[in-house]
Amino acid sequence: MTCARPKLARQSAALLATSMLAAVAIAFAVSGCSRGRDGLDLPKGASVLHLADADDVPTLDPAAGYDTLSWTFEQEIFDTLVRYGDADIELHPDIALSWESSPDATVFTFHLRRDARFSNGRPVVADDFRYEIERVLNPATRSKGIEYFRSIAGAADYIAGRTRHVGGIVIPDTYTIVFHLAAPDPLFAHKLAMPFAAAVPREVVKRWGSDFSRHVVGSGPFMLKQWLGGERIVLVKNPYYFIKGVPRVDAVVDQIGVSQELGWLKFEAGQIDILGGIPPAEFPYVMKTPRLRRLTLRQTTVSTMYLGMNCQMAPFDDVRVRRALNYAIDKEKLIAILNGRGVVAHGVLPPNLPGYDPNLRGYAYDPARARRLLEEAKIGPDFHPTLWLRADPTTVILAESIQQDLELVGIHLDLKPVAWGPLLEAIRQPRNVELFLSGWEADFPDPENFLGVLLSREQWGGNNDSFYSNPRVDELLAEAAPMTDLKRRYELYDEAEKIVVADAPWVFLFHPVSYVIRQPWVHGLVLNPMRPMRFERIWLSPHRE
Amino acid sequence: MKRRAGTMELVGGAMVASLVVVAILAPWLAPHNPIRAVAPTFGNPAPPSWAFPMGTDELGRDVLSRVIYGARISLTVGVAAMAITMTIGVAIGLAAGFFGGKVDFVLMRFTDVMLTLPGLLLAMAFVSVLRPSLLSILLVIGIVSWTGIARVVRAEALSMAQRDFVLGARALGASPARLIVRHVLPNVMPIIIVMAALGTSGTLLLDASLSFLGLGVPPPTPSWGRMIEGATMYFRVAPWLATFPGLAIFYAVLAFNLLGYGVLRRRSA
Repeated sequence: MTCARPKLARQSAALLATSMLAAVAIAFAVSGCSRGRDGLDLPKGASVLHLADADDVPTLDPAAGYDTLSWTFEQEIFDTLVRYGDADIELHPDIALSWESSPDATVFTFHLRRDARFSNGRPVVADDFRYEIERVLNPATRSKGIEYFRSIAGAADYIAGRTRHVGGIVIPDTYTIVFHLAAPDPLFAHKLAMPFAAAVPREVVKRWGSDFSRHVVGSGPFMLKQWLGGERIVLVKNPYYFIKGVPRVDAVVDQIGVSQELGWLKFEAGQIDILGGIPPAEFPYVMKTPRLRRLTLRQTTVSTMYLGMNCQMAPFDDVRVRRALNYAIDKEKLIAILNGRGVVAHGVLPPNLPGYDPNLRGYAYDPARARRLLEEAKIGPDFHPTLWLRADPTTVILAESIQQDLELVGIHLDLKPVAWGPLLEAIRQPRNVELFLSGWEADFPDPENFLGVLLSREQWGGNNDSFYSNPRVDELLAEAAPMTDLKRRYELYDEAEKIVVADAPWVFLFHPVSYVIRQPWVHGLVLNPMRPMRFERIWLSPHRE
Repeated sequence: MKRRAGTMELVGGAMVASLVVVAILAPWLAPHNPIRAVAPTFGNPAPPSWAFPMGTDELGRDVLSRVIYGARISLTVGVAAMAITMTIGVAIGLAAGFFGGKVDFVLMRFTDVMLTLPGLLLAMAFVSVLRPSLLSILLVIGIVSWTGIARVVRAEALSMAQRDFVLGARALGASPARLIVRHVLPNVMPIIIVMAALGTSGTLLLDASLSFLGLGVPPPTPSWGRMIEGATMYFRVAPWLATFPGLAIFYAVLAFNLLGYGVLRRRSA
């Protein structure tokens, strides 16, 4: 999924409100006002996990959500056939107790557990998975997950409305589901670990229609109790969850509209149990203070931040100019600005992704070389390209650092900070945006999810926002995609990545490292490199509320 | 009374003059390049020291140099926007006051309508549409701040238009244009000058507010409002990042206010 700057993003619109809210928060803290449990009907002494977020959750409908915040809650409310471990990116059983695939990776069979129930009490059956995948494939749903299930045999006919069901999804009995694929796809099981393929009760979707997002029912450890738009979201235990004793807290209350700075004040006041984004300004202080440092958790994300260059727009159609920018930008400085919360990128793939090539060198910081390349490319002294970026304070600081670096090699960069949505729209248009800051976080652990999704010719107008194309890279990607022999598969992807790095459609910037801080009474919290944190195994020791 | 008023405008004038000197001599006064990194304090701003009397910011830039260069932007915007404000306000005020009747009614109702719109919001809307640049900021500030001046000038012009010397000139066959330029305008000029000095502090503040909201002169050009905006994130750990540009805005606004009120007091004394 596209990531702005995971865990560090902040809305600039919240800026003004911050100081006022902070004042109110302090007033509340001083007056000893407790946070109360108004209207929640939670039993006295219930164990409640308190969280805070700046933005409201875009959606809870698993067919619609494709961002970190939506997935945070979807993965608690819904179950998929398979899922990643709490801290790893291996596939583990979820509703499927076991599964097997044919040697050529075209047939996948899943055997479901029989004790899973939705929070309304109805047992989860194989048809619930078929129903959701067909819902995602149905063009009327307009799901962003449709791409991942097109490879199922008969999907094309179903999408065109020629069949009632997808021919390639077979349900031999209530608790078995078989997927027949039109072409080999060794990663298919990983695609079923995304919330797009969660078990969803047909009768509830039918009842609420497009309002399902507000009335979701799933089989996950938690169920939705309350969602007050822009105010808070409350999850409580699903009494039917198939693992006894889980979840370990009774409820999760996420307060919405809390900016990063306010979140930090609330954390210090003990009103928030886990804080995802430590404000950059506070970070050095946290790291210098042993008491606070012990409360942090660190996780290198499977993501890459980059500066995209539109390869179809002069002068960025000249590889020398693109390489010059790679040499001119000081990535170590960017990481210093983030207080060390990142790892320098040498290429496209992040270090903890299977298939990552540790020998790839990329571009070192070398402004002299950048100047030479720009001279060769005959870039004059009055070159004023515009860099589009997300209007969030941290991103703006990074962009200003890049602006400083490019000034030294004679490129006068103009900055254009815009909101996240319009930025994504703008960079997707051909020949529209010459330079932009963006990032990508893995959906599943395979190089295809970066190289194929972001840099192949067929993704022009989709996710290939730098409009890069190299026929040899496309060939290698096509050859690698169905390959089940992992060694050979990764070799092909590594070869493709080397060509991409030489062609330099991006300035490869860094792989963000995220930090989370939790109160001393929070136990059992672990971070996953590729998915939001999960709440069901967290427990709280007694503390003053 | 008169003596004190004189001190006030003298002090204000000296302060304004000092600002002008700092702005003009910025390249010689500033110890460092305001947009280059001069200390490796990336992400961890350094407090004031002997080498950097106002500290360095999260991008390793010298705050003192940025405050000095910021005077250029603030003064340019403050004064130029005031010139635009004055041009619009004086033209509308003179026309309304001199011609009276329907012209007065239409122009003043238009002014009333403009007055009902909150200036900052209107400015934000205009800047968003025009894209932030030095020129668009000047125009927008001019467009949203002329109303007060128009009303004051109208009131003055209204009374001037009835004075004997204007009536006399009219009787001698002077054209309206000549009457306005040669007879009315010179007599409302003192109040215009006072309004300009007072208004400049208003435009300075509006420029700072726009910059604070991310709609000012785009980076890397240092401007005081933008420096404070950038510093909000570091407010608790590096208060000097916001304090010094804040003091600079305070100084500039105070300078123009002292000058304006000083002149006003002497006039009315």
